[in-house]
Amino acid sequence: MTSPAEDVDVAAARPQPRRGVSLRDSGPPLALVVIFVAFSALSSDFRSIGNVQNIMDTAAVLAVVTCGITFVLMMGSIDLSAPGVMGAAAIAVALLVANNRNGNELGVIGILLAILLAAALGCVSGLALVLLKVPSFMTTLGVSAVGLGLATLMFNGVQPNITDGTLASWPVERLLGLSYLTWIAFACVLVGYLIQRYTRLGRYAFAIGGAEEVLALSGVKVAPYKVAVFTLAGAFYGLAGVMVTSQLSAGLVQAGKGYDFAAITAAVVGGTLLTGGRGGILHSAVGVLIVMVLTNGLVQVGVSPYWQGGVQGLIVVAAVAAAVLPQRRRNQVTK
Amino acid sequence: MNFKSRPAVALLSLSLAAIALTGCSEESNAGTGGSDKAGACDPADVKLVGQVRNESNPYEASWLDGGDAFAKSVDLEQQRLTYDGDSTKQQEQITQLLAGDTDCLVMNILPNGDSDTPPIVEQAQEAGAYLVTQWNKPADLNVTDYDHWISHITYNGVESGKQIGDALAEAIGGSGGIIALQGILDTGAAKDRFAGLEESLAANPDVKLLDQQTANFSRAEALEVTKTLLTKHGDDVKGIWAANDDMALGALEALKAAGKEGEIAVVGIDAVPDALTAIESGAMTATVSSDGPWQGGIGLAAGYCVATGELDVADIADEDRAWFAEQFLIQQDNVAEYLSPATDEADFECDNVFSRSQGAIS
Repeated sequence: MTSPAEDVDVAAARPQPRRGVSLRDSGPPLALVVIFVAFSALSSDFRSIGNVQNIMDTAAVLAVVTCGITFVLMMGSIDLSAPGVMGAAAIAVALLVANNRNGNELGVIGILLAILLAAALGCVSGLALVLLKVPSFMTTLGVSAVGLGLATLMFNGVQPNITDGTLASWPVERLLGLSYLTWIAFACVLVGYLIQRYTRLGRYAFAIGGAEEVLALSGVKVAPYKVAVFTLAGAFYGLAGVMVTSQLSAGLVQAGKGYDFAAITAAVVGGTLLTGGRGGILHSAVGVLIVMVLTNGLVQVGVSPYWQGGVQGLIVVAAVAAAVLPQRRRNQVTK
Repeated sequence: MNFKSRPAVALLSLSLAAIALTGCSEESNAGTGGSDKAGACDPADVKLVGQVRNESNPYEASWLDGGDAFAKSVDLEQQRLTYDGDSTKQQEQITQLLAGDTDCLVMNILPNGDSDTPPIVEQAQEAGAYLVTQWNKPADLNVTDYDHWISHITYNGVESGKQIGDALAEAIGGSGGIIALQGILDTGAAKDRFAGLEESLAANPDVKLLDQQTANFSRAEALEVTKTLLTKHGDDVKGIWAANDDMALGALEALKAAGKEGEIAVVGIDAVPDALTAIESGAMTATVSSDGPWQGGIGLAAGYCVATGELDVADIADEDRAWFAEQFLIQQDNVAEYLSPATDEADFECDNVFSRSQGAIS
């Protein structure tokens, strides 16, 4: 039996098999390269520098949402709260920084408060999961509705438009060819990776997804880590909501519409399994790029909008199939 | 205690009034040889209900405000209902509403989609409530087959698509490339509006449609699609045609990010407040208004007129049972009139409820 003091060692010993399978994880990056090369061959507009910048810029928000959702997926839970949490954060930040609805001018503090609100909503998801034992699917769906409700209350019939200088500069100002938003997304991926790789929170998230019972039987209190993961995810959604607000110069209740499934798709395409314990931030980041390259490429190549949805779906299924092919075990059950 | 019993007293007095009124109307019906049950309602007994998708949409919020304005003009209150764009929820609300007292109930409904209209109509007809629907109706469902479904009002999307198409062509000097942002592709509104653009393009042969993509009526999606199309077509893009204002506003943000604000003309439809401000400042070229507050008031007004007997369904001409209402092109020269949406009580008088008709739905 291990005593609680040795838990750290147990967790530290786990990465080794993961390092062993890293060759098997090369499916998604390979798929990304293949898709990128294919579109480049088909369209000269696609391979222009301007378009690559554009892909990175449009991927920024989805990347941040996916960072949050990846931690939840690694635990083997699911999170559908992104639309509500992002909506609440988007409206909150729009009302806290300089805007046309009230006299607030909190600037960066306003941004932090909005992210804090989002983190609190994430925390509620986590608490409902561990205290009330409601499946994450339902709690997060509920919290999404709560977030949308809060957003609608704050919205109050009049669109808040922002005039804050900091937020306005994010999508417009560029550093080394990429917008500030894109750099924020890079920072999120980096922070996410560091949390996943070097903190107890990240390692336990993996371990919970891999074998929660084993962890619990080893004397680890799992519940606080679950709450912490949902809180962290909420904070990422909050930042994403703020980013959408900066892009649109307005707080929208629907700021996060569709981002829940887009982020789950990106994570899974990148090799983060819904069953938990597999994948990670970098995998998901590759998944985000695959999805964005696809969306952009189909437009650049000139596929009719009536066909795009279907074609994109087919390619995503094919990409996921190709990505999990090396990981498939002969007697694996797929549900 | 006095306070507590107030609902009971109200209920009692209402039912007394109702009994008294039933007596009256029976008498008056008998007097005129009364075959018609319609028009039996005392104005004070009419119950007004407005139902739209959600109040977080400025257009639909202004619709309900228009309903309130009409209700106030006849000393009543409008019950505001929203169903979050959820068809099931809409049907539940209707069923609940019709389970109550329906004799003098007037409903002004925005059905979620075409297929949501038939069950609403059937239920209202059976319960004897007065119904006006707007925007969505299956083409083969005839208003004239029902005597409690007073009217269906909608707008000619081909016309509005063409109006802004022409305004865009004019703004870019009659020649150059444009891109089109379509709505949700399987909706009638998106199809009609795009058909209108195609008509406009046929009339302006030097305007070239470089590309058309869907952004699903969404501001965020329009931002991304426009960015992509700007990198694809670069300086060839002189104008952007969007099937609604939300997408037009998303396109404006994309132009801002690309440093092309003010160089490219943008048009939309719906006249949402932000679009009006953008038109006022010159960032946007044109939009089309269906006049949301008027829509919210007119459905209740038509129902009220029939319920109180000022209007008889049998007397309404067939072409006024399902009709296209007038819509207004807004550009910089006339935007000031639309910046503060308001209703005109004269529009809601029983003689005027069909005055904005542009003809029957063909």
